[in-house]
Amino acid sequence: MVNILLRYTNLIIITLFILSLLSFSLAYLFPGNPIEVLTGLKLEELQKLQNQSANIAYKPEGSVLSQYGHYMSELFSGNWGVSFNSGQPLYEEIMLSLPASIELSAYALTLSLLVGLPLGFLAALRHHRATDYTLLSISVVGYSIPVFWLALILILVFSLQFGWLPLSGRLSLIFEVPSNTGFVLLDILLADIEDKPSVFLDAFRHLILPTLSIAIVTTTLILRITRRSVIETLNSEFIQAAYARGLTTRQVLMRHGIRNALVPILPLLAMQFPTLLTNAMIVETIFSWPGIGNWLIQAIYQQDYSAIRAGMLAVSVFVVIFTMSIDMFLRLTDPKRKKIERGTI
Amino acid sequence: MARFNLYQEEQHPSPLQYTWLEFQKNHIAMGGLVCLMLFILITIFCPLLAPFEPNLQKTGNILVPPSWDPNGGISHIFGTDGLGRDILSRVLYGCRMTFGISILLVVFALLIGVGLGATAGMSKGFRSSFVNHTLDSIQAIPTILIAIIIIAILGTGLVNSMWAIALALIPQFVHQTRDFVRRELSKEYVMAARLDGASKIQLFVRSILPNMGETLVMQATLALSIAILDISALGFLNLGAQTPSSELGALLSQGIEVVYIAPWNIALPGGALFLMVVSVNIVGDGLRSALRNRLLH
Repeated sequence: MVNILLRYTNLIIITLFILSLLSFSLAYLFPGNPIEVLTGLKLEELQKLQNQSANIAYKPEGSVLSQYGHYMSELFSGNWGVSFNSGQPLYEEIMLSLPASIELSAYALTLSLLVGLPLGFLAALRHHRATDYTLLSISVVGYSIPVFWLALILILVFSLQFGWLPLSGRLSLIFEVPSNTGFVLLDILLADIEDKPSVFLDAFRHLILPTLSIAIVTTTLILRITRRSVIETLNSEFIQAAYARGLTTRQVLMRHGIRNALVPILPLLAMQFPTLLTNAMIVETIFSWPGIGNWLIQAIYQQDYSAIRAGMLAVSVFVVIFTMSIDMFLRLTDPKRKKIERGTI
Repeated sequence: MARFNLYQEEQHPSPLQYTWLEFQKNHIAMGGLVCLMLFILITIFCPLLAPFEPNLQKTGNILVPPSWDPNGGISHIFGTDGLGRDILSRVLYGCRMTFGISILLVVFALLIGVGLGATAGMSKGFRSSFVNHTLDSIQAIPTILIAIIIIAILGTGLVNSMWAIALALIPQFVHQTRDFVRRELSKEYVMAARLDGASKIQLFVRSILPNMGETLVMQATLALSIAILDISALGFLNLGAQTPSSELGALLSQGIEVVYIAPWNIALPGGALFLMVVSVNIVGDGLRSALRNRLLH
């Protein structure tokens, strides 16, 4: 147990170190002066700042190693530089947009789990029957839909044609909700504003279309993963043994089936996380959702290199810590797992 | 063709034939295969099939609806876009571009991935675990983020986005190859070859690789659908193929400008893209279950 914990901590630290090196080296790889990319300030502004106060240590003649050291110490003190375009501190901008993305992905994931898991079980229990084939064909269609096209079609139908749901954004402009946690629904619950239910309803209506576009693809993936896992579990010998002892199908499922089928699903789900995030980032740009994907893509359009450097570091650190923690958790809870397994959907 | 069989000779189909027989039993998969063949034909013979040049602008024919619409005409079956370009031709050229590039990317990723995977599988210790962890990190990072970084360094463009997607496709081939090589190395036929004095390279090329073909093809179909979706997503976000190009994702993003008055501008290219991915996925699925059934018998 301690061994595993140590190994994973080690792995996470090494990966984070590599990521920080990468983000530092981006300053040299991106077009423009490295110091401009690292700080987000133009060279003249930097010199002006240095003339004003002596305690801003800007040493372009220092070695690369000492530059990296300074960069890291600034990163840890929360000073990530400013954006080329808006001039705002990057740390604050990212801390506003990252929770928005996490929120959207979390709702989509929850919805797909709620729908995908039961349907996967249903398909597996009706293996090689009409229900199974129907669900399987739907799932092939579902995970073949390009997510951006799906989002556009949903907008076309539900926003433009019928006008039921709002087109883009997170909240109507008439409402003003102070941002505490960054998660809009939580913020509304915590905020001290008039007419909370209608604000909440508005935020919910804004959430429906983006969440659906992401969730449809993820649901079909979860359905397929679950179905395969349950079929394999039901074919194993301990299930036969349980039947032989005279248990009914329901009892077999409740006592042996579900738990053993769920174990191999979790690591496969964790592997789908990058796909989920990619889809979320694409959908964000379509719905103008103020998340990190939209923010990063706007930064590309505007050639805001300092923002790309910081945003890339923030997202990849988040992803690495998240996936590795899940891996570690699974490894700790499931003694059968010797190494990181990979499977197919 | 049922022919009178004089001799009671038993026929044993080869593994490849067996897979094909299993695949044929699945009618949906056969339908997918026909559809996929169609896209391959379009990719090869596109200039012959397309009625117009993809970038030919007819200023008199702006936003003509498709031919099944009362206002549509037969000369533009899928209608025209905001600049008077024929959508059918653009979709055909777009299919060629998206599909062709995706196949190219998959072949490239397959070659690199199998090479790396074989090295990792045949070697032990630090080298193997280094490859392993590096790839795990790459796989954990969303494709679009890799693409954003590469595009920020090299600038937007189709070729630069191709690098990003190739980089994202490689890890799964490496994992597949490495796990397969590990499993096979402990089997007896490999041991026999090793006792005959085969070197590591001979062992891989002559003994292991022939057994890997089908698994690789299956993995390649999976990768192909991912590649198609990714390349069109980047084209859609204006990070990959740029505006005058007829890549399907770029077509969709151009269609958005007129979506209010001409919804067929996004419905038709998107439909083509969807059909392409569905056929690839159906064939991949069919192949996978055929392989699974064959191994069960």
